[in-house]
This record gives sequence, structure tokens and C-alpha cells, in this order.
Amino acid sequence: MKNKKRRSFQLSEKQLGYAMVIPSLVLVMVVVLWPVAQSFYNSLFDYRLNDPSRSQLMLSATIDLERYVDNQFYIGSQLDSLLESAENEADAETVKGIQQDVENYHAELISDETIKTKVEKIDELLASFTPVRDSELKYSKVDNAFAEEYQGALESHAAALAEIAASSSDDTSGQQFQQTSDLLASTAGNILSSNFIGLDNYGKYMKDQRMWKAMGNTAFFTVISVAFELVLGLAIALLINRAFKGRGIIRATVLIPWAIPTAVAAMMWGFLYDGQSGIIAHYLEAFNLIPGSSWLLTTSDGGMFSIILADVWKTTPYMALLLLAGLQTIPQSLYEASSVDGANRFQQFWSITLPLLKSSILVALLFRTLDAFRVFDLIYVLTGGGPANATESISVYAYKTLFAQQNFGEGSVLSVIVFISVAIISLLYVKLIGSDLFDGRTK
Amino acid sequence: MNKRGGIGFYLFLIIFVFLVMFPFIWVFLTSIKPPREIFSSFSWFTSNPSLDSYEAALTNRPLVRYMINSFAVSALTTILSLVFASFTAYAVTRLPIKGKGLILGLVLAASMFPQIAIISPMFNLVTDLGLRNSYMGLVIPYITISLPLAIWILATFFKKIPYELEESAKLDGASPFQTFRKIILPLAAPGIFTTGILVFIAAWNEYLFALTINSDDAWRTVPVGISMYQSQYSIPWGDISAATVIVTIPIVILVLFFQKRIVSGLTSGSVKE
Repeated sequence: MKNKKRRSFQLSEKQLGYAMVIPSLVLVMVVVLWPVAQSFYNSLFDYRLNDPSRSQLMLSATIDLERYVDNQFYIGSQLDSLLESAENEADAETVKGIQQDVENYHAELISDETIKTKVEKIDELLASFTPVRDSELKYSKVDNAFAEEYQGALESHAAALAEIAASSSDDTSGQQFQQTSDLLASTAGNILSSNFIGLDNYGKYMKDQRMWKAMGNTAFFTVISVAFELVLGLAIALLINRAFKGRGIIRATVLIPWAIPTAVAAMMWGFLYDGQSGIIAHYLEAFNLIPGSSWLLTTSDGGMFSIILADVWKTTPYMALLLLAGLQTIPQSLYEASSVDGANRFQQFWSITLPLLKSSILVALLFRTLDAFRVFDLIYVLTGGGPANATESISVYAYKTLFAQQNFGEGSVLSVIVFISVAIISLLYVKLIGSDLFDGRTK
Repeated sequence: MNKRGGIGFYLFLIIFVFLVMFPFIWVFLTSIKPPREIFSSFSWFTSNPSLDSYEAALTNRPLVRYMINSFAVSALTTILSLVFASFTAYAVTRLPIKGKGLILGLVLAASMFPQIAIISPMFNLVTDLGLRNSYMGLVIPYITISLPLAIWILATFFKKIPYELEESAKLDGASPFQTFRKIILPLAAPGIFTTGILVFIAAWNEYLFALTINSDDAWRTVPVGISMYQSQYSIPWGDISAATVIVTIPIVILVLFFQKRIVSGLTSGSVKE
């Protein structure tokens, strides 16, 4: 590609610029923007992976062709044998009527060319006992009115056969009728009505106690841990902002908690907090700081305290680093001038350090607040959201709904709620920080 | 502030280092205790150190396999995102294109998106592509985290390279792409390396995608693998301590070697120069 460029044509700077930007933009669209949009779209459906009648997004009525074709195959022969075992004329008439009706509906269904081809393909696959994996082939849209009618017909026929079965004097023929009735009912179940429910899921969560509790937990965790991290981080940054021997050791000390995986840190803290063999639980109890060694992980307050302490331990160093870098950009001459004017150190802090550090603080706060609000690994590994959902964050709740309950519709609502909250938080911060965020990057 | 510290200052530093490192110290001390002692006493040092826990940690669970998985996924993610990000960062900082603010804004916004809002469509996508329990199955979602991060940090590094060199290359008749490849890339190499370390660490630490997409034990990464050491009935703290020590060592080495670079990369996005 490079050679071609050199020989045949040269991209102008502008063209090259766009060519270089496009791959990343496409990637960001595909892996970030599209999934978020899809999450929002999913949240409008009653969409559950573990329920075959709702495991697809269906804007209109849909037919599960694989199961339908499989069932339909037996309907004809079963109805034929019912005709033979019918005890009286009336029953035989009913069966004949059903046979005619079902045939008509099926003919109408496959009068659509695409459905007909699909049915034939599935027939072949089923004959060789191959499951249908391609969801394009397996499902087909059908007209809403037709679907409802067909489904209604199958259900009423099933009921009619069940009635005959109940009144039948002969056990074997009764069983036969019941069997066919079940078959018709299950075929009716292969015709799926649309699972588009609009904003109903949102309405449900607005009234959901657990959602509000999770939201409250997340907000509490975010505010308290970020506040502690800011104060401690600033204090540490101010203290180590000087020349001293052993800076390397301090820097490494500060970086290691930041660099290890949160899940590993959570396991470590889980061990330190453990009611039986945890050293921190043991010491805190020995110094009467907590009611008992099991308080940390088995009570609501203890659980919240535990995750906040672990988070402060893991991320304060990062905060201190960011603030230290900000401190080092403040010119020394400002402090010298103010000492000449007789300002004490406290005054210097308020009128020089804080104002000049403001943008560093805001940027650090922005990143930390967003991270804390999305908290997942720490809570999921350390407490699992327990005890009794007392430490469950909104992300943990969303994860449990999505993957433990396999409910992608409702789970998506929760993830959209996280997304919207994060968007609001970022907008607030970006407004506070202003255009500083982009300084030094674009020309 | 060019004050020098006194004894009080160094005392503070020692306490600080001790407090921050305490969990590691304790976990290390636990890992060399014979398993029975862990549950019976709180004494700091054991009189008969043993490596039983290490043996158990390596044999009860495929810890080495987890580390290989993590390494492969993180390395692939790092290489891919560095390639795409260096193009983009160069174009945004150096070439006369329109909408730079918009592009950077989009990148920054993308880095703020919560993973939980991406996970379910991503899970369906990876499942449909047949990539669950594979390296690529994690590399694709990891791009969501690593690409914006890499673009953001690289943009700062590219910005610092003096323009004079580029100008003279242009006068010598180099095409814009040649300038990028022969002038900018070599000069930006340290910055790219730093960005690579940060991206690698971010990918190494990722939990949510790894937990949901690679659910097969043989394909788990380190963070997920470690969190699965606890069984429903008992928590083998000895194994967990030893495993923690084993997986922390590479990170400690990385940090010790590259601490200055890591700090410069971490702070490059937050401080105005």
C-alpha cells in the first residue's frame, strides 16, 4: 500500500488525515456506540434468553419455523388416526373440520414464497436430525392478524379435542385425543406474538425498590470513597511534593495497588476481612473498633465500610499521583513572592495551590467519580452485593439480571440507567472543567 | 516546594509505605505458612515455612494457563489498539483535518461509557461470531477500553514532538505518510511504549467481559480465575494467598522497571503543560 502510494499518487495531508482517523472511528462505532444503542433497543422488549418464546427481538408476530414444521409434520397423521378411532359421527365431523381448517391455515402460511422455501429447507434439516442454528432461517415474520387468527384457531381446536378426550369412554382413544390436543396447543405456542413492550420495562424499574436501593448504594459508595480519596490523595501529594531520597520506592509503592487487578485486590481484602482468619477483622475487633470480627462481611454497614476501605486503598495512590503532577506545574516563584508579602502557608494553600490545582483536581475527580459509579469487580468479588443486597451497586444488579436471570430486556434497562447516570455526571464535570480538557491536544 | 524532609518526614513515609503494602505483606506471609496454621493463629511469622500452598495453587487450578491467557489477550489488545491509535493520534494532532474536537470528544466519551451498557450486545455479537472461549472473543470487547485510552494518551505524546523536524522532512520531499513513519514514529517510540504499558495493564485487569465471555475454565484470565478459587463450601486462603503472590509478581516487576513511564503516561492526560 505504501509503495503504491509513492509511485502512483500521493495522498495530500488532509486525505491521509482522514484515512488515518477512519479505522479508529469505525471501530469505536462498532464496539462502543452500536452496543449502547443496541442495549437501549433491547430494553424496549420483553427479551429473555432462557425462554424460547421470547428469546428474539420481535417487532411483529413471528413464527418459530423449526418447531412449527416439526409439530406440523405429525398433525396430519394424528388427525387421520383420530378419524378412525372416533366413537361417533359428531366427533368424526369435528376432527374433519379441524383437519380442513389446519390445512387451510398452513396453505395460507406457505403461500408466502420466502416462508415456503424456509419450510422446505428446515424439512430437509429435520429429516437428517440437524438442529437449525441460523436464526434467520429458524424464525420468520408473519402478519399480525393472521398469526393471531391461526393461533386462536389452533387453541380452540385443541380445546375441542380435549373435551372429546374428557368425555371419551374408551381409555386408549381418550388418550389419543388428548395427545393430539396437546400437539395442537404446542403448535399454537410456536406462533409468537411480538414482544415489543415499549417503555414498560422502565416503568417497572421506576417502581422497583431494589433498583432505588442499588442506586442509593452506588451514589453513597461513589460520594464517600471519592471524597476520602480526594482528601487523602491531596494530603499525600502535598507531603511528597519535595525533593527527598527514595522517591522511587514511594512511586512504586503508590503504583502497585493501582496496577494489580481489582478482582485480585478484592480477593486479598476478602481474606483480610474474613471473620475467622482475617487479620484486619481480628485487629479491629481487638481494639474494639467494630462489634465483632464477623461484622465486616456479614452486616450491611460492615459490608459498605469494607468495600469503601478497599476502594480507598486501591485508588488513593492514583489520585495522589495525578494531583502531584498538577502540583509540580505550579511555579515556585509564586510561593516565594507570597512569602515576601507575608502570607502564611495556610493562606498560600488557599490562594495559590487550590486555585492553580483546580483543573487537575476536577479532571482527577471526573475519572474517579465515573470509575466509582460503574463499580463492579470490587463488589462482585468481595461481597457479591450482599449481605441482603446491602452493597449491591447498580452495575452488579444489572449484571445479575442480564446473566444470572438471562433477562436481557430488563437487564438492558438497568444498563441504560447506568449509562444515562454516567452521561449526566460527565456532562456536569465537563461543564465545570470547560475546554481545558482538550488543551494541548488539538492545534 | 524544595523543602528537604526531616526525620518526621521519613517516619511518615515509612508508615505510609507500610500501610499501603500491608495487604501484600500479610498475604505473602500467609502464603508461606503451612495451611493448618492459617486458620489457627494470627501470628505474623511462621516457624516452619512451607511451599505447600504454592503447590496447591498451581495444581488445584490451571493458574499457569490463566496467566498465558491473560498475557495473550492483553498483548493482542495492546498491539491492535496501538496501531489504530497511533494513526488517529497523529492525524488529530498533526494533520489539517476538520472536526478534531469532535473526534477527541467522541473518543473521550467512549472511554467513559460504562462497560455494563455494552456487555449484552457484545455478548450476543461474540456468541454469534462463534468466538466465545477464545482470545479474539476478548480482544474485540477490550478494544472498547483500550482504543480510546491509547488515542487519548498518544495524542499528548505526539503533541510534544517539535514541528521543525516535520517541516524539514516536508522540504526534502517526503510524503505525509513517510514523515509519519520515518520521523514521527521513531521520535514517539517512548510515548508509544508507555501507552502500550498502560493499555496492557488495563487489559490484564479487565474483569466483566472476561467473566461473561470466556466462561470455560481453560480460557479464563487471571482476574476471573483468581476470583473462582473460592468454592461454595470452603475458602482455601492458603491457595488464594499463594496464587495472589504468583500473579502479582509480574506486575510488581513491570511497575519497578517502568514506574517513571507509567507515571508520565498516567498524568499526561490530566495536567496542562
